[in-house]
Amino acid sequence: MPVFANSAVMEAMFGEVWKKMVHETDFGPRLKENNITLQFIIEDPDVVMYVDENGPVFGDQAKAQTPVVTLKMSGDSVHQFWLNRLNVPKALALRQIKAKGPVGKVLQILPLLKPGKALYPDYCTRYGLPTT
Amino acid sequence: MQYFDINMGLSREDILIRDTAREFAQKVMRPISRELDTMSAEAAVADGSPFWDFLAKAYELDFHTILLPEYYGGQGLSPLQVHLVFEEFGWASFGLAVQLAVVCFPFYLACMTGDEDLIDLFVKPFCQCRDGSIRGCWGITEPDHGSDVIAVGEDYFGSDKMRGNVQARPEGDEWVIDGQKSAWVSGGTIATHTLLHCQIDATKGFAGNGICIMPLDIKGVCKGKPLEKIGQRDLNQGEIYFSGARIPKSWMMCDPEFYVPFLDMILASANLCMASWSTGLARAAFEEALTYSKQRVQGGRPLAKHYAMKQRLFDLFARTESARAISRAAINLNLNLSPPHVEYSLWAKTQCTELAFRNTHDAIQIWGGNGLTKEYVLEKLFRDARATLIEDGNNETLARHGGHIIGETYPRKALDF
Repeated sequence: MPVFANSAVMEAMFGEVWKKMVHETDFGPRLKENNITLQFIIEDPDVVMYVDENGPVFGDQAKAQTPVVTLKMSGDSVHQFWLNRLNVPKALALRQIKAKGPVGKVLQILPLLKPGKALYPDYCTRYGLPTT
Repeated sequence: MQYFDINMGLSREDILIRDTAREFAQKVMRPISRELDTMSAEAAVADGSPFWDFLAKAYELDFHTILLPEYYGGQGLSPLQVHLVFEEFGWASFGLAVQLAVVCFPFYLACMTGDEDLIDLFVKPFCQCRDGSIRGCWGITEPDHGSDVIAVGEDYFGSDKMRGNVQARPEGDEWVIDGQKSAWVSGGTIATHTLLHCQIDATKGFAGNGICIMPLDIKGVCKGKPLEKIGQRDLNQGEIYFSGARIPKSWMMCDPEFYVPFLDMILASANLCMASWSTGLARAAFEEALTYSKQRVQGGRPLAKHYAMKQRLFDLFARTESARAISRAAINLNLNLSPPHVEYSLWAKTQCTELAFRNTHDAIQIWGGNGLTKEYVLEKLFRDARATLIEDGNNETLARHGGHIIGETYPRKALDF
């Protein structure tokens, strides 16, 4: 059974996570400084989210954007990724994550997302998602 | 010599980066590479060798961090910019171009892990290094195996009969490494760190390998003598020996669970570099032929005015443009896609090295006897080009691997994102 019950749960939770990251951590300024915009294409549940220094958008609005980096993965992989439990080289090699965009920018995403990964377990608790 | 770029969309930044690389290639790399070419392999890396001036200048200009992300202090160049720079380096010296890329290999792979300890310990100091004192190498090639280590599509690759020359065994919180890498490790005898491929589970043959990052100043590591060879004599190569060398478990960045596809990712990157440098080498041969054919008078007119020579010059031009088109297309695809489509890197490497080799061969034919003498750079270009047909996977092995991928996965579907 997927970690995220449906798209609405994922969008609600990540809406909060991204907003906090963009507006209350150095994530937003760093995205801008590094000229990075991000799109996540998630399967099971199907969610598309896009984030830049202004914050996140979802669904059709996200699909309409042209991101610098696109990451495609399953909902469960997203969860493991944000809990810092996904071995990224392994996930890429085994195609659990697919990335499109300059490799140099893709490599920068890991450190950029660090503030969000620190926040993520708290949001899991709030939304009733497992953290173990 | 300048070349006309058929890409009309180069930005000012692209051009500035290319021109900076070109100036370094012309003023530093080419003259030093010619000097190193005449020296013994040992003398070429001895104290006082111009090799160290080359390295120090390259680091000072940040050319060692071309492939690393800006976040850690790398240059974070776009795929096209990487190609523009690598073409200039390949024009100047294939061997020194390889040297300057392998220094970053262990650190490039460490970036992929996102492991903060590895990044603080290895990546950041490398990016901050400005004097060439931190140097990586790619420890993959083995004395008993040659192309075996990349023959992923062959049944013997995963056979327990494939016993690697370097073994890693777990002991407590550490890996213990024993064995030997071959004399073909680029940068091997001067490296301070290696990206080491080692066998962890011998029952799986080379599919049981792992990849770790390892400083080479630890107990149980020693180096062989620099290798003497016919081409790329300016590229240091040599053995590394391991005898009970110990590293923390966390430095093993890849284990047998994903070694095979990860090896393909590494191979795809390395082959893109080979293709880009080959474009520069093909161009260097074309330029030598063009210049000479305008100066050299035979039968009362410059060579370039002879009917047969016009055709030859066009072939040299066409091969150079083909190499650039192929390598740029492949780098644009596979440095924008993770995991990459490996067959396109294999295509670029095999084709571009062949095109460069044919250009150096034909340029010598145009130069006649002068092309065979040590007085001119052309014979060095030819020797360097010959090595590329074997280097980083001989072209036959790479073609076989490409055929395996095509047989297993084609028709390839369009990207779904």
